[in-house]
Amino acid sequence: MLACVVRGVIFIKKKTGIDFIKKKTGIEKKKARWGFIFTIPAIIFFSIFSFYPIINAFITSFYKKDLLSLSKPQFIGLGNYKYLIHSESFWNSVKATTIFTVGTFIPLVIMSLILAVFISSRKRFQKFFQMAYYSPALLSSVVAATIWLLMFDPRGLANQFLNFILNTPGKDYKWLTNPSILRLATILVYFWKYIGYFTVIFITGIASIPQTINEAARIDGANRWQVFTRITLPLIKPTTLLVSIMAMTRCLKTFSTQYLFTQSGAPLKPIDVITLNIYNTAIRDHQIGRASAMSIILFVIILALTMIQFKVSKAEEVQY
Amino acid sequence: MLKSKKVTIVFIVLMCMIVGLFGKTIELVFWTHEDPNRTTLEEAYIAEFQKMYPEVKITRVTYPSSKLKEVVLTAFSARKGPDLFNLGMQDSYPYIVNERVTPVDLRVLGLESYDDLLSMYVEGTLEPVTYEDKIYGLPLEITNFCLYLNKKYFREVGLDPDKDYPKTWEDIMETSEKLVIREGEILIRRGFDFRYPAYFSEWLPLVEQSGGSLFSEDGQTAIINDAAWLKALQFMKDWGPQGKNLGSPTYQPARNEFNRDNNSVTMCMSGLYQIDRIKAQNPEFYQSGEWMVVPYPVFEDAVSDVRCNYSGHYYMVNAESSKEKQEYAWKFIDFMLSHPEDYFLQVGLIQPKKTLLDSEAFTNYPYVDVFMSDLAKSHSVPIHPKGPQFEQLIREAVESVMLTKTTPEQALDTLKKKANELLQEE
Repeated sequence: MLACVVRGVIFIKKKTGIDFIKKKTGIEKKKARWGFIFTIPAIIFFSIFSFYPIINAFITSFYKKDLLSLSKPQFIGLGNYKYLIHSESFWNSVKATTIFTVGTFIPLVIMSLILAVFISSRKRFQKFFQMAYYSPALLSSVVAATIWLLMFDPRGLANQFLNFILNTPGKDYKWLTNPSILRLATILVYFWKYIGYFTVIFITGIASIPQTINEAARIDGANRWQVFTRITLPLIKPTTLLVSIMAMTRCLKTFSTQYLFTQSGAPLKPIDVITLNIYNTAIRDHQIGRASAMSIILFVIILALTMIQFKVSKAEEVQY
Repeated sequence: MLKSKKVTIVFIVLMCMIVGLFGKTIELVFWTHEDPNRTTLEEAYIAEFQKMYPEVKITRVTYPSSKLKEVVLTAFSARKGPDLFNLGMQDSYPYIVNERVTPVDLRVLGLESYDDLLSMYVEGTLEPVTYEDKIYGLPLEITNFCLYLNKKYFREVGLDPDKDYPKTWEDIMETSEKLVIREGEILIRRGFDFRYPAYFSEWLPLVEQSGGSLFSEDGQTAIINDAAWLKALQFMKDWGPQGKNLGSPTYQPARNEFNRDNNSVTMCMSGLYQIDRIKAQNPEFYQSGEWMVVPYPVFEDAVSDVRCNYSGHYYMVNAESSKEKQEYAWKFIDFMLSHPEDYFLQVGLIQPKKTLLDSEAFTNYPYVDVFMSDLAKSHSVPIHPKGPQFEQLIREAVESVMLTKTTPEQALDTLKKKANELLQEE
């Protein structure tokens, strides 16, 4: 959602030149007013389905509230936050989320960019490659995790494949039991599912670069590598920013894979990401106040990291 | 003639208007878990009940059993719960202590006192839904697990299933070592394997047989009798990939593979309902007579002959539904539960009603004596408002010894610390 807003702001700014910070006059002011009017339905939608739940969660995070109790929730101020700061389980979740996000988000961005460049440079089968890579993204996360669970069964394809490649017959790579391998397994599922999705976004970004710029560079004697590093990469900065923010927020919010894996016998601790901890705290323990406090912390983390990415990338400096 | 016709038409129209204005339909929303056999049965009961009470309309909604507790919880937290529903024993308890469900309406059931109700059921089976001298639910089913075994694979390794079936946990280990087929570290056929999420029902008795328990008698301390816990944890350490590699939670559930008779599992633990599932999934195997059921094992030096803890599902009624709806909901539950033989013969569920247990249909059913004999030596899974959290802690302890280098002593230390912290938490 945040990524959509970012994309919208970049797009509006690029196309209309409207800077929301600087004061505009005349026709630009009129355009800005109309722009604002057109965003009203989205603002109403977000207010009902996003802002209200966020505010509600924020308020609930200051209360001790049992999901089933009819008695009045007890105001405990920062009690839930203090509890979380001292909670071993919460810090384990922060660790699990960090490992998963770093392990997934960086390879996702890099590999999807490489694939996008590869597919864009193809003269034939471009659509086929796009469809092939994109198709896992169409599967529901639950179905994707279930398919991989079958493969990670000790008698499944994952062990058979590695044993064939590495010539280690009968070895169990403990995909769902060894903590490090288990983390890798969840990363693999996510990577497989979303690589195509981000590749398609990069392809769109690359396609929007005017062909004349590339041709001019070629005439000036630039080789393929130089065109990529000096032309393509700087000009797709807004797309890279968009992809990195989307990939990062998705990774931080990962849930289904870890949930299904733990339901199927995998140990909880190595993959007890924050969202899974929120779910267990609310649904298993009925502690909705504590779960809300965790949600707010996750929200703040995502917001802070997005702002840092904005600052670092300076996407607005891109000009064709 | 024409005039009398007109009068009749006007009369009919008027009646329709009166019914439309004043005749109201009572809609009962009924949430339950998916079970195709039970759906057929209960849909028929709904149709029959609606005929008996035309003013009532019942909407039956099913959810996957793993999802039902989440859906009911979310609905109740938003105060939009169904009028009647069923939940597992442990999950029911918080609804009772938080007064979200109403006590059984004795008047509707035509009973005078709770004693009359208790006298209809097997002793102890209404205890999990009893709170402050009131009974809040009626059992849809009570389940205890016994050991299913495939005779063919026993004979294959030179064992006589009728004589050599495992009676103790030590036998389970020894027999499994004979039955297991491995390809390197990978288990192609398991001798036996546990039902890994069922730590309260299937695994806790291992501790209890050696004199341990989850809570002290006064309920103030958790994890009682270190030696008993260590023995059970050591058994799991030896069982898992870090020990003799006889089973692991990451393989497909043993009970599902058992039904397939595909040389992947020889023994599994399940309820009486498994017989109907074998029949439905693999009629050939069912007909072959190559399977049998034996009692839940006990340690050789057990100090307590406790068998698998039983669990169950109870029908309950939403305390926030109108009085009228509550009354009809109890009427409907009573109507459904007045057919325990149908539930038993068509769905394989045991409703612990004395009338069922005394019936010919029940006593003549295969292996019912094994289940009943074990049930007499068992008690319910622990009922506590934080039950699922305690079960999760036990799961972490067991899986840490099975799957990592953690020793039983280290796992017990962690479990004890966390369980007592949880118990003291407000």
